[in-house]
Amino acid sequence: MEPLLKVENLRIELKTRAGVAPVIDNLNFELGRNESISFVGESGCGKSMTALALMGLLPEGIGRIASGKIIFDGEDLTQASESRLRDLRGNEISMIFQEPMTSLNPVYTVGEQIAEVLREHQNLSKPAAHKAAIELLDAVRIPNPQSRVDDYPFQMSGGQRQRVMIAIALACKPKILIADEPTTALDVTVQAQIFDLLRDLREQTGTSIIMITHDMGAVAEMAERMIVMYAGRKAEEGPVQQIIEHARHPYTKGLISCVPHIMADPAFEREELTEITGIVPGLGSFGQDKCLFSERCSMVTDQCLGARPPEVDFPNGQSAACWRAEEV
Amino acid sequence: MSELLEIENLSVRFPLRKSGGAFGAKTYLTAVDSVNFTVKKGETLAIVGESGSGKTTAALAIARLAAGETTGEVRLEGKDILPLSQDDLKAMRRKVQVIFQDPYSSLNPRQRAEDIVREPLDSLTDKTSAEKDVIVDELFAAVGLRPEQKRLFPHQFSGGQRQRIGIARALSTRPEVIICDEPVSALDVAVQAQILNLLRRLQADFGLTYLFISHDLGVVQHMCDSVAVMYMGKIVEHADRISLFANPSHPYTAALLSAVPSVDARRREETKRILIPGDPPDPLNMPPGCRFASRCPVAEARCSQIEPELKPVADGQSVACLLREKG
Repeated sequence: MEPLLKVENLRIELKTRAGVAPVIDNLNFELGRNESISFVGESGCGKSMTALALMGLLPEGIGRIASGKIIFDGEDLTQASESRLRDLRGNEISMIFQEPMTSLNPVYTVGEQIAEVLREHQNLSKPAAHKAAIELLDAVRIPNPQSRVDDYPFQMSGGQRQRVMIAIALACKPKILIADEPTTALDVTVQAQIFDLLRDLREQTGTSIIMITHDMGAVAEMAERMIVMYAGRKAEEGPVQQIIEHARHPYTKGLISCVPHIMADPAFEREELTEITGIVPGLGSFGQDKCLFSERCSMVTDQCLGARPPEVDFPNGQSAACWRAEEV
Repeated sequence: MSELLEIENLSVRFPLRKSGGAFGAKTYLTAVDSVNFTVKKGETLAIVGESGSGKTTAALAIARLAAGETTGEVRLEGKDILPLSQDDLKAMRRKVQVIFQDPYSSLNPRQRAEDIVREPLDSLTDKTSAEKDVIVDELFAAVGLRPEQKRLFPHQFSGGQRQRIGIARALSTRPEVIICDEPVSALDVAVQAQILNLLRRLQADFGLTYLFISHDLGVVQHMCDSVAVMYMGKIVEHADRISLFANPSHPYTAALLSAVPSVDARRREETKRILIPGDPPDPLNMPPGCRFASRCPVAEARCSQIEPELKPVADGQSVACLLREKG
């Protein structure tokens, strides 16, 4: 069966003062129906750009899709008109943003903001949309939705606002839900509630989820497959648990081991954390014909500096763009 | 061994004016409510809790930096620092320094890196400028910055490097205690490891005592020797690291730990998520009894009437919960 979403050789260029830089450099991936995948990496690796490209929301005049295809349900979105994209956004593909504090409009009640999506995309009447908004608030487990529907965003806590964002995103039962760091601004107990909610909603509606995050723990809880991005390129892809147990790219390995994970039985001795030295390169050095991770990598050889590593496929479904993937 | 820092009945409250015009009664928001704990020299105490639990306010009060009305006692090397006047405060500030959460807003953008690091020496000590230069050079090396970076401005550094400048500044007066207020939560994961390793190395080299505020329990488990868990201004559990993580005694601690997403498949299967529905109570209108009772999965009727006190339940572990009290 055709996957729901297929991204082929996607290249996104961003205009900077120093020239044009490829923020996404030849990206390929697929998303199946009712599947949950996760993009992982540090800031500045192109995770959010990928999401914006899928939504047709690249910053105007600065970012553009230089080549490649985004095939959603058989239709190439890179060729779609602005009005067609408007139809799809919030309807077939919707997005939850990172900051629940700033992504709601402070001068409209949450009910009006949920109803707006329904009236725009499903031509519901005002009373019908209002009624649906109450049902959606109930679905995202906001207590007493009848009265909360007339609240303004400032009257709600951070977790409740993120629930409202989810209600807006899910109002039209989208086929794909993109969640860009949906819980980074929230406390852990609230994060756990949001994850439970997303999992339940996915079961009920069959929505596919693309989650963008830097937290490997969150990936392990939420996704079946992960794609690790580094400097605009795919470093590694594969089933989540398999990668956590045996990563095939030094960057993935570093990302997993540099975080102090909470242990079931804490040991008395604590080892130093493995460091990934340095930082993600600036946009200016993206797109070179070499491994962009080489300057931070402990396994670097001359070959890494000479040419961009191809993706190596492993029989278990993992793939890694590293010259020495077999040895990792 | 004697305790370096002893906190007794520390409370911080912020005055608010209630609606009702000039005749409206003054009300108070109590952010920290009769907190007691001690820290030994060379150890790290973590204060964990969710936003609004009072963890940052408590720590800032210990540095005499909280804006509200502070009562109780904060004894540093046996001497209460809360009644100190301006001049004596200087000596105390030499001993207590802070590393802030946001490396972007906590450095003056118009000062060069070396001046930022030197500033505490200028205002708190009377060292000669030659002595200060030597100290600044040493600190740059200690936190892993290159000497030629001394003349740069904050915007020319990455987030991790800026946090190194903040750490060097905190170290400049050779303090006894450093309050680390979420020192890595604004940084990228890979950079977090660099800073955490640096903090532990410096602790060993300089014999520092850390008061470590964090909401990231993975980081806390890695960094601290003991942990105090705060909920709505109260410490609900205080224990050494191993006891707290292996055997959390307060229902809130257990819920908090169970909420942390884990890469460890075994831990994921073993831990059953404890749900705590709803939101914390209104801090202006605190309910009687246990503050966690309204969300607690095991609460009994008496929990919403009697306020529990922090009492020892095992060696090195104290809990404020009626259900855990013996007898």
